[in-house]
Amino acid sequence: MAVDITLLFKASVKTVKTRNKAIGIGFESTKDEIFKRSRPKSGFSPRAKEVITNITKLKDFLLQHRKDYVSAGSLISSDLSRMTDNDRDQIDQDAQIFMRTCSEAIKLLRSEAEKQVMSAQIKEHRGAVLDLIETYLKGVCKLYSEQRAIRVKRMVDKKRLSRLVPEHHSPVEKKVEVEPTEEDTIKEESSEKTTSSEVQDNPVNLWEESRVEDELSPEEIQMFEQENQRLISEMNSLVDEVRQIEGKVVEISRLQEIFAEKVLHQEAEIDNIHQLVVGATENVKEGNEDIREAIKNNAGFRITSKAAEVAACLGSCQLRRSSRATGTLNCIYFLCRGSFQQL
Amino acid sequence: PVVLSAISAASSTTVELNIALKRMLNFNAPPLKNTAAEPVWKVLIYDRFGQDIISPLLSVKELRDMGITLHLLLHSDRDPIPDVPAIYFVMPTEENIDRICQDLRNQLYESYYLNFISAISRSKLEDIASAALAANAVTQVTKVFDQYLNFITLEDDMFILCHQNKELISYHAINRADIQDTDMEAIMDTIVDSLFCFFVTLGAVPIIRCPRGNAAEMVAVKLDKKLRENLRDARNSLFTGDSMTAGQFSFQRPLFVLVDRNVDMATPLHHTWTYQALIHDVLDFHLNRVVMEEGMGVEPSPAGARPKKKSRKTYDLTAADKFWQKHKGSPFPEVAESVQEELDTYRAQEDEVKRLKSIMGLEGEDEGAISMLSDNTAKLTSAVSSLPELLEKKRLIDLHTNVATAVLDHIKSRKLDVYFEFEEKLMSKSTLDKSLLDIISDPDAGTPEDKMRLFLIYYITAQQAPSESDLEQYKKALLDAGCDLSPLNYIKQWKAFTKMAATPANYGNSGVKPMGLFSRVMNTGSQFVMEGVKNLVLKQHNLPVTRILDNLMEMNSIPRNKNPFQEAIVFVVGGGNFIEYQNLVDYTKSKQGKKVVYGCSELFNASQFIKQLSQLGQK
Repeated sequence: MAVDITLLFKASVKTVKTRNKAIGIGFESTKDEIFKRSRPKSGFSPRAKEVITNITKLKDFLLQHRKDYVSAGSLISSDLSRMTDNDRDQIDQDAQIFMRTCSEAIKLLRSEAEKQVMSAQIKEHRGAVLDLIETYLKGVCKLYSEQRAIRVKRMVDKKRLSRLVPEHHSPVEKKVEVEPTEEDTIKEESSEKTTSSEVQDNPVNLWEESRVEDELSPEEIQMFEQENQRLISEMNSLVDEVRQIEGKVVEISRLQEIFAEKVLHQEAEIDNIHQLVVGATENVKEGNEDIREAIKNNAGFRITSKAAEVAACLGSCQLRRSSRATGTLNCIYFLCRGSFQQL
Repeated sequence: PVVLSAISAASSTTVELNIALKRMLNFNAPPLKNTAAEPVWKVLIYDRFGQDIISPLLSVKELRDMGITLHLLLHSDRDPIPDVPAIYFVMPTEENIDRICQDLRNQLYESYYLNFISAISRSKLEDIASAALAANAVTQVTKVFDQYLNFITLEDDMFILCHQNKELISYHAINRADIQDTDMEAIMDTIVDSLFCFFVTLGAVPIIRCPRGNAAEMVAVKLDKKLRENLRDARNSLFTGDSMTAGQFSFQRPLFVLVDRNVDMATPLHHTWTYQALIHDVLDFHLNRVVMEEGMGVEPSPAGARPKKKSRKTYDLTAADKFWQKHKGSPFPEVAESVQEELDTYRAQEDEVKRLKSIMGLEGEDEGAISMLSDNTAKLTSAVSSLPELLEKKRLIDLHTNVATAVLDHIKSRKLDVYFEFEEKLMSKSTLDKSLLDIISDPDAGTPEDKMRLFLIYYITAQQAPSESDLEQYKKALLDAGCDLSPLNYIKQWKAFTKMAATPANYGNSGVKPMGLFSRVMNTGSQFVMEGVKNLVLKQHNLPVTRILDNLMEMNSIPRNKNPFQEAIVFVVGGGNFIEYQNLVDYTKSKQGKKVVYGCSELFNASQFIKQLSQLGQK
């Protein structure tokens, strides 16, 4: 259990003050205070805090509208959904722009921090601060992508449920029965599916027509019917697949995001390794030349052994230890130089 | 009267400590549960004591997550970072206070949150006040706290007093012949201060029990006095109801058993067979961190090339490591098997991920495969998102493979299984199937230190001291093996002294049943070839300290209290080790609903203990 002794501290301050007054020691007045308090307005800290405030605004904005955004309403489209799809798109767009701006602000701060000359501790501190802000931004972006994913999923599910249900009208069925079932299917569908109702209407019309006109034979009617059904089911399955693919694409985009992150990370590392390798190659070249010179000068046994050592080290050098190799090569290189100069 | 059943919230020490530390690192306000909260950054300044307290509990990543951008030692060169608040966590020593005053004068940070590990004195507080006034920084000192955290929690149920300067309160320091009264007083004060902090943090006033006539009794008396003084001052008491957190409704006071190391000298020398204790015994293990040298020359280096530098690897064994938590008290063969199992499970999961990869490769070639993709995208997403988990698992498996391999190397080269078995037999007074002399004279079995340990245990546990001629024989054999005999001098004195005191420690009827030799028990491809190493099974038995605790918990000598103790803290003055700790853990497991915490003034392994005995024996 920690004990708060701040008040005790303040009391100590008073005690010391009174004591000092009694002894006659005074302290600097408020002049210095004013100097200290004037912090550069465009300094790192205020700007970092600004970015955070902005991200918080974004978070509040998203949370505020989240309920409306995510509300599915029932499948009947005549409900009072408080938000139209347009509104949702608008929110998506705004959020994206905002996130991009924040992300760029962080990058800007980071690059500025790199350029400025300051102590290692301050550099580390600022780097860590920017990391914290980035993590915060990521968290808020996650909010956004979560509700967007919900929205997309809802759309997919909605479309899937309200699509046509292909009825299996067997040609053997009595025609009397066909009509009531067709009417049923018309009732089940939502009003959006006007096309389907049209398709359904046709057999009825045909049927009526055939009764009246008797031009189309029952087999032809059946055939048409079957073909209709087939077309319907084909269309449905296509629509189905498209919706599925849509869902997959969303998932794949998420995966891509992860991969992109990893790749960028590796890019930095590969650059690093590349640099080291280039440096190592240079050193090796120079070392080789020096050795050749020394051999020419016929300095004798010592150099031969040194050359053998260098060759052996070069032989065992592996790319993934390029940094260590650079160090080793550098050492040997300087060793050789040193011993050459001794001669 | 109706007695409410003791809803002992069993607030473990690590939980308490964690909460206390997290609050401190959040500017002494309760940390927000909301993860999507605005980050607030700060720097953490600590001294070595503070570092030792924080490092077993919070990793660098966790510190970063709490907004700590930099963590620095108090006595290091620190640059001014004028726009950031600083949290200090230090002991209120003279030098630390001076440095804080210096920081104030140099205007290093924006604001200061001072947290003192143990209570700061009024005069030192005034020193800081004075410096703050001089630097016009009084308003910048935002908060000052006495944290009462002067102890180090290593496990949920284990704590030690300190790591820095532990030689000041070591077994040697307490038991040396030339100790002055003033020295002793100082040592006792240090120990009592830490124990007091412990109970303040726990939020409970214990019932203290201890044997008479040794250092433990001195500690008990002082602690009791300090607790009473604090309780008497009701206004400022640290144990009043409203200063306790809500979750601590222990209607029963915990039992606090103080014992002196001298009650059981064999256990600190004992060779062991459980994972955590083995690591502490044979490897470099401090504050839950193992430091090992790697690169044992697996590939032969080409002739003439510079030898590969051995790299040092450090491993942190934390509460988050599930394998560790499960197996730290397991006998070693079980650990080896489990690591193998984990490796196999991991490989299976890896193959699963690879399989998905190949399925993805079918895309575009086979139309039938497209239908297979139906839920594979989802599978892939879940595989990718579970990758970090998988990688973490791999890291832990590697860690334990390396550690267990290192331990196994020691076991094999020093024949530690033989020592363990023999010592168990000695301590339980079972019949020996080998002669002690044989083991000592055997050049292949163990280091000289191992042999000395074995002999000392023999000497300590013998009912009657060996005859002069026998003793000479042993001594000669030990000297031939390269042992240093000075610990024996001290143990002789100790034995003579304890003979006058109570009955010698009873180590219980342990039995070590060897289950025959391991002969490739594990399938091929196993990392751990335990050929020739005995598969020993431990029979549960109680070490002396456990027995003392058992007697007290069951006996319950307080007349008012009808219920036996549910919670106990055992503290060994003079030092302890993991073997004792593990024994208590096993004991607690067998008792339903009881909770036992183990503490000691310092933690040493056998080799460190023998050094101290050696120093004592040289006087």
